[in-house]
Amino acid sequence: MNNELDCQAVDELDAAFALGAVEPDEARAVAAHLASCQQPHAQLRSMLGAGELLSLGLDPVQPNAAVRDRLMATIERTPQEHRVGLGEREAAGRRNGWLDWLSPRVARRLALAAVVAVLAVAGWNLSLQSQLAERDRALREVAEAISGGEAAFRVDGSAGRGYLVETPGSGAALVIANLASLPADQLYELWLIDAAGAVAVGTFTPSSGAIAVVPVERDLAGYTTFAVTVEADRVDAPTGTPVMVGDLTAS
Amino acid sequence: MTDRSQPNIDALLAQRIRSGDREALGELYDRYASVALATALRVVTDREQAEDLVHDTFVAVWQKIDRFDPMRGSLRSWLLTIVRNRSIDRIRAQRPTVGVDDADEQSLLRTAANPTWEAVIARRSTAELQIAIDGLPAEQREAIELAYFGGRTYREIATLTGVPLGTANGRLRLAPAKLREALRMTDAAPAASAEPMSARRPDR
Repeated sequence: MNNELDCQAVDELDAAFALGAVEPDEARAVAAHLASCQQPHAQLRSMLGAGELLSLGLDPVQPNAAVRDRLMATIERTPQEHRVGLGEREAAGRRNGWLDWLSPRVARRLALAAVVAVLAVAGWNLSLQSQLAERDRALREVAEAISGGEAAFRVDGSAGRGYLVETPGSGAALVIANLASLPADQLYELWLIDAAGAVAVGTFTPSSGAIAVVPVERDLAGYTTFAVTVEADRVDAPTGTPVMVGDLTAS
Repeated sequence: MTDRSQPNIDALLAQRIRSGDREALGELYDRYASVALATALRVVTDREQAEDLVHDTFVAVWQKIDRFDPMRGSLRSWLLTIVRNRSIDRIRAQRPTVGVDDADEQSLLRTAANPTWEAVIARRSTAELQIAIDGLPAEQREAIELAYFGGRTYREIATLTGVPLGTANGRLRLAPAKLREALRMTDAAPAASAEPMSARRPDR
C-alpha cells in the first residue's frame, strides 16, 4: 500500500488503528502520517485505550495457585534487562582504534550496525575495503552482539536504505548506505514515533563516506516507527514527509 | 473486582519492580493475574495455554520493566496489552491463513493509553463495564471483539462478517463512540488531545 496517507484516510482508520486491527503497512503509514501532521487527530487519540475496557469487562478468572509459584521461581533466576545492561557497562573497558572515542557499548552497536549494513544492504563497499582488520574485529563484535540479543530493523526511503540496530536498554545505531546528500542549509532529523506522536532523537548531516553511522541514544521500546525527515534546522516536530521509515514492530 | 481506584499503588509497584523487588512483582500478580487470565482465556480458549501466557506476561514485565513509561499509560494497561498481544500471537501462529505478526509488547496497542478511558475505568465496576459492552449493537460488539480478542484486521472482519470494508470499519468506529456514550465519557478529560499529535513530548 502507499505509505502516504492524507488526514481523511488516517481519520477513517482511527478505530482500527487504536484497536490494532490494521495491517502492519497501514499501521506504519498511519504512524508516519501522525509524525508529520500538524492536525491533532483527536478522534484517533480518544479511541486509544478502548480495548483495555473490553478486558476489564470480562469476569476475572483466578489462575491456579501453581502459576504464581512457577512465576516466582522463574523470576528468581531471570535477570532484568536494565540490570544486565548495567553490569555489562560496568564490566566493559575502553577499546582502541577507530571506535575509541565511543563508549564500549555504543562502539559495539556501531560495529554491529556497520557490518549489518555492509553485508545486507549495499554489498561490499570500496570505502571500507581498506579497513579489513577493523571489519574482522567488528565481525567478532557482531557475534557477541547477536548472542546478546540485539535486533536490527530495516529502514528504507528515498534518502537511503539501511538498518537501525538496537541494544536493549542502551539505545541504537542507525546505519545507512549511500545516504542522499543535502544542501548545506539542510540536515536530517531522526524521530521515534508511536500513536501519541514523534519524539526528536537527534540530527545529522551526510558525511563524505558511503556509509553513515549515527548513534541513537534512546531506548526503542514502545515505539512503533522510526523515521528521518529533512529539516532546515533542528525542530521539535517534523515539518515534512519522512525520507526514510523503519517498522520497529517487525523484529 | 480488581481495585481500580489506586493508580499510585501501581506506580510504586513499578518502581519497586524496577529496583529488583520480586515481592513487588508478586503483588502486581495478585492485583491483575485474574483479569490477565480472563483476557488470555478469551483469546486462546485453552486454560493451560492461557495460564502459560499469564506466566510469560509477568515474566516479561519483570524483565522489561525499564521499558515501561508511566507517561504513556498505566502499568495495568501495559500488562494487559502484553497479555492480549501475546495471546493474539499464539492464535495467529495456529491460523495458517494469517501471517504471524510479532505483536507482543511492541504492538500499537501498548502505546499511549488514553487518560479518558483510564479515568472512567477507574470509576466503574466490572458489571458496569459489562453492561456498557452488552449495550452495544450486536454488529458493533462483534466487530470490536473480533478486533481485540480475535486479532482480526478490519479487512478480515469484513470478510468474516460478509459486509463491505467500509461497513466493517464503520462498525469499529462506532463501537468506541457508543461505549463512551454509555459510560458518559466526555472529551474534556484528555486535555492532551488538543495538542498536535506531532508535537514533541517530554523526554522519557
